[in-house]
Amino acid sequence: MDSILTILIFFPAVAGVLGFVVHKDSIRAYGISVAAIEFALSLVLWMGYDPNVSGMQFMESIPLIPEFGISYLLGVDGISLFIIVMASFFTMIGIATLGETKRIKDMIITLLFLQMTMIGVFASLDAILFYVFWELSLVPMLYIIGAWGGPLRIYASVKFFLYTFTGSLVMLVGMLFMAYFYQQATGVWSFSLLEWYRLILPENYQLWLFAAFFFGFAIKVPMFPFHTWLPYAHGQAPTIGSVLLAAVLLKMGTYAFVRFSLPLFPDASVFFMMPIAVLAIIMIIYTAMVAYAQEDLKQVIAYSSVSHMGVIILGTFALNVEGIAGSVFLMIGHGIVSGALFYLVGVIYDRRHTKMMREFGGLASVMPRYATIFGIMVMASVGLPLTINFVGEFLSLLGFYKQSHIMTLLAGIAIIVGAIYMLAAYKKVFFGEVTKEENKKLPDVNKREMFALIPLTVIALWLGIYPKPILEPISNSTESIVQLMHDKAITQEAKERIPNLVDEMSISRTSTQEAH
Amino acid sequence: MLEPVNISLESLNLSTLTPMLIPIIGALVILCIDLIKGGLNKSLYVMLSLLFLLMDFGSLVDFAQLFSENGTMMGFFDVMLIDGLAIIGQLIIVVSSMLFIPLSLTSKRFHEYSYPEFYALFLFMIAGFQFMVATDNLILIFVGLELASLALYTLIALHNRNKSFEAAIKYFTMGALAAGFFSFGAMILYALTGSIEINQISAVLAADEYSNIGFVLVAVTFLLASFGFKLSLIPFHAWTPDVYEGSSAALAGYMSVVPKIAAFVVAMRLFEFLVHSNVVWLETILYVLVVLTMTLANIWALVQSDVKRMLAYSSISHAGFVMAAILIGTTQANSALFLYWVLFAFSNLGAFAMLWVNRQKVLVAGQDSDHPFEKFAGLVRTMPTAAAIMGLFMLSLAGLPPFGVFWGKMYMIASAVSGGYTVLALIMALNSAIAAYYYLKLIVFMFMKEPVYDTDKAIHMVNASMPLKSIIGFATVFTIFSVLFVSPLMEFITALVYNSGY
Repeated sequence: MDSILTILIFFPAVAGVLGFVVHKDSIRAYGISVAAIEFALSLVLWMGYDPNVSGMQFMESIPLIPEFGISYLLGVDGISLFIIVMASFFTMIGIATLGETKRIKDMIITLLFLQMTMIGVFASLDAILFYVFWELSLVPMLYIIGAWGGPLRIYASVKFFLYTFTGSLVMLVGMLFMAYFYQQATGVWSFSLLEWYRLILPENYQLWLFAAFFFGFAIKVPMFPFHTWLPYAHGQAPTIGSVLLAAVLLKMGTYAFVRFSLPLFPDASVFFMMPIAVLAIIMIIYTAMVAYAQEDLKQVIAYSSVSHMGVIILGTFALNVEGIAGSVFLMIGHGIVSGALFYLVGVIYDRRHTKMMREFGGLASVMPRYATIFGIMVMASVGLPLTINFVGEFLSLLGFYKQSHIMTLLAGIAIIVGAIYMLAAYKKVFFGEVTKEENKKLPDVNKREMFALIPLTVIALWLGIYPKPILEPISNSTESIVQLMHDKAITQEAKERIPNLVDEMSISRTSTQEAH
Repeated sequence: MLEPVNISLESLNLSTLTPMLIPIIGALVILCIDLIKGGLNKSLYVMLSLLFLLMDFGSLVDFAQLFSENGTMMGFFDVMLIDGLAIIGQLIIVVSSMLFIPLSLTSKRFHEYSYPEFYALFLFMIAGFQFMVATDNLILIFVGLELASLALYTLIALHNRNKSFEAAIKYFTMGALAAGFFSFGAMILYALTGSIEINQISAVLAADEYSNIGFVLVAVTFLLASFGFKLSLIPFHAWTPDVYEGSSAALAGYMSVVPKIAAFVVAMRLFEFLVHSNVVWLETILYVLVVLTMTLANIWALVQSDVKRMLAYSSISHAGFVMAAILIGTTQANSALFLYWVLFAFSNLGAFAMLWVNRQKVLVAGQDSDHPFEKFAGLVRTMPTAAAIMGLFMLSLAGLPPFGVFWGKMYMIASAVSGGYTVLALIMALNSAIAAYYYLKLIVFMFMKEPVYDTDKAIHMVNASMPLKSIIGFATVFTIFSVLFVSPLMEFITALVYNSGY
């Protein structure tokens, strides 16, 4: 159990290397077994996790470059735990339900390497280690989009890579500055996040460093106006690529905000709270409107995914327990729901080789099971109560309501817009008469697809009805972050905006409970 | 009556000459063997060169130990100077040469490698570079530089194609001009200070507080231009892509690593005290040169259609990146320079070696240079391992963690940060992003496109023989696991650099 995180990270990579030897007829079974073992391991991690402890667990530390303070430092808390579980879950069902794919061996090995980087990002507590996995995750994704994507795949993949790479390099400069300030303050170099947490920086340093980190994270999320790579990437990526991109890779950005920006720069977070909230609201409303104008079903979901990422950002920058815990929960919810929606689009694309909504219509009568599952996921996506996204969205907005009423109102309206375009898209595809001849004989979802869709549907409903098992560890860890931020804050405004939990711990506990 | 010169052999400290004498003796031995019995197989010469280089390496390790005990050593009428810089510089030169020389054991026959002269010249060249880094004396620097350069011109021309002759002549002309600049700059410094030893020059200049600032500036400009040619800094870079294109890929890879480290060491000795003097505008000039070199070379590299030319521009850009260390001038930066160059040497030699094994003797229809991007299209179908390795070297050169060059970049940017050059750090970071595009281009061709050339004949890996594959394998392993070597390397380098006072 001591080194379970190392095993989780490198097991898929080692399996990927060995996978080169496996014959291509058997590679699918090999991939499924590896991913299933990995998923089981992640469940073991969850079982071993103590939900009452708010700090880091399963810590591992090996010095890599001691004189420069770089170490192999791993650990999980309630915030990263569930994203790791989700990442291994999605890789498993992704490989298991992989449709007919050319060069399937390359695809599965690439997916296993991608899994290593995804889990590595969420388990790293050393900034450089984090950066290594963060950057490495670009390579498998580049290959997945570029080799198995649509007609514009090369443009889309290179754009994806360069956009993220540029942002990350600015972030790297920020990290080096942070380490330098740490060295100035303490006399030793360190890239350990836990050591950085203890450093209180003057406000103007915080502002600059916040901006440097913001570039890296905002491009990854992607926040308006850095979002332009995402529709291309989604539009061209194969189904599995879109699913993993939406479910896990985008979460790296929002996760990094919670892990880096907030606790390292509490004053800057308060300073930039309103500008970022404005960006988030623009992102929610603008992309919702763009989504409404799309004719391609996959683009609708891509833009809706960006739109919901805006709510996550808004919740994160509420800077209180409700908001951050809600946004972390929404990361999970968004992962499940938009992953499932992209998968559903893939299902229909496999059958018709088109994603244009005008090509469909009346599918509800042809493919009833498909329509049902799609319907549930659309409802979850728009945040219907008793579905997974409702919990996260409600908490995020509740959190931000404490900071600004008007902004929250605007964001709330945007969610209604979200309902409009999702339902409109659903109507176009599933209701009405079956107009096209090709659609009359479409087979309903088969067993393999059910294997992916049933668990996702169950999770989407289960966590909507009873979110406690996940929400509790998340809010425990969130509380410690908020408290840390409050203690570190220098300016008066930041002290006021970020609640002091030592006094009101009981109050915030009850308010999260109510939200269930 | 002149008094007889009376110098004890002891004070000459002849041992300081050993590292240079070993390759010179090696070269003479190779020539003698050829005199006695000609027509021997190239493998003999390769192995002999390798043995002599190994001995050279051994003597350097010996010096490294001596240095850590006794500090700087002078010798041979005090023109030789063995300090930390000299030791690291020579180690990098010798190790890179050892990695390079087995590349001549190709499975196809390239006739230049069958001449023993090739190996003799090669060893002479190494001795030249070693002289360059192991002295403080402007004249010996000049001699070493010319010895190495003249040998290198000939090595390029030995490739025996029209483009190679063009390359050799071009390089020779530019090199001659650079030599002229160098002697002119050195002359002015001598006229100003009455000395040709760099530490004397700096002491005299500092003593009269740079009163002849105009002359110093002229001298510095000449010297900078001269090393600008050697380091291919912009605007003295124009020869580089043509020369790289004309020489064999292996030699081009070698040229992008070894001559430059020798020039960096000399530049560090020459310019460091001037940058720190704050009187000369060298800081400003260097700043402009560094930024221009990084950025423009990257932009030109974007539009190349031949991989070798692209790598030529990329190596210019890397040189500019590293030149920033001399501008920043802290121990951290200078150590980062050497670390960067070691890591870069492995990735770059690997990349050029991959080109070299893919060099076919007859071009297929539609191919207008040796290594156009199209040639590598769809490589992953036919040779997945080769494609993966080439992709790895590209990612490393692009600075993607955790592969080799990333650690160099990280240290370099970190030293810019702690040296107070915030804007420079950002420019360096953004340049890495620009550079990523052209490295990605090759990856896109290899992994995402369909093969372009319609030919039955093998055009990939035709040159691959066991020694070449081992070299590439070695570079690959080093590039992937570089994170494990960074810490001990950095410790070693920092100790040497710090103890020699840079």
